Amino acid sequence: MTQRRADGPYRVVRLALLTAIALTIFMAEAQLPPLVPIQGVKLGLANIVTVYAVFVLGPRDALMILSARIFLGAVFSGQMMTLLYSAGGGLLAWAVMAVLSRQLTVKQLWLASPLAAVFHNLGQLLVAAGVMKSWTVMAFLPWLLISGVVTGLFTGLCAQFLIARLERISRGKDPGTKED
Amino acid sequence: MSRSAKGIAALLVLLLAGSAAFLLLRPKGEGQVARITLNGKVVQEIDLSRVEQPYTLTIDGPGGFSNTITVEKGRICVSKAGCPDQICVHQGYISDGTTPIVCLPNRLIIEITGGGSGLDAAAG
Repeated sequence: MTQRRADGPYRVVRLALLTAIALTIFMAEAQLPPLVPIQGVKLGLANIVTVYAVFVLGPRDALMILSARIFLGAVFSGQMMTLLYSAGGGLLAWAVMAVLSRQLTVKQLWLASPLAAVFHNLGQLLVAAGVMKSWTVMAFLPWLLISGVVTGLFTGLCAQFLIARLERISRGKDPGTKED
Repeated sequence: MSRSAKGIAALLVLLLAGSAAFLLLRPKGEGQVARITLNGKVVQEIDLSRVEQPYTLTIDGPGGFSNTITVEKGRICVSKAGCPDQICVHQGYISDGTTPIVCLPNRLIIEITGGGSGLDAAAG
């Protein structure tokens, strides 16, 4: 994957586009009913964008997209409390991914995502323990670890396929055509 | 695969197996006492083995709405909640110490404990 370090307007536009995509996915997913009756379990589809950004644009740009998406997501969904949980989980997951992006190649990104998801869920639970002033919530940890691995693998594979597609488009055809 | 990739894959498998084993093997706990905690403070303890007639109680939480709790002999659930996600309602009845009912927006926890001794068999 080409890691073009674009500056100026090009970079701003790209960050804004990715933030808008992530926010749209986030809001669409929020409309779905909960998959399982366990707090904090969800697919986290918006993190496809986060994973992609960490590995292709670098951790710094990814952090900007992530924090903008978390803040706007909380504003748009009208639940400011989710800001705390998303930020706690998101930042921890981002940190893990930033470290992993040095260890793994772009082709192995699908492996980084589940580990980041596990840490996302752990961070969320730690915030929940703080909000509830009780460690009882840790009873959900095993459930959230399992769900983190599964959902993280899913979003990671999505990002992996996405990158392969984008690469094919930019290599094979003129990116301006309406293909894909 | 590189060494770090293998390490991560192994770690993930270990996490999965460990969590699954914990969930399958953990003790159920002997407790029959439901402890209702609101915002970090215990507000009520109910001995579920001594409940004769099912009844409901309503608790107003700091989240700005109330949870209606249904108490029956040997089990307890949240039957109505003012929150948007309704996760605590969907969870249904609990009757052992394995999984507590947690309502994050209202900071309400219902857990079943061994009663006086306090400590539950499941550590974690």
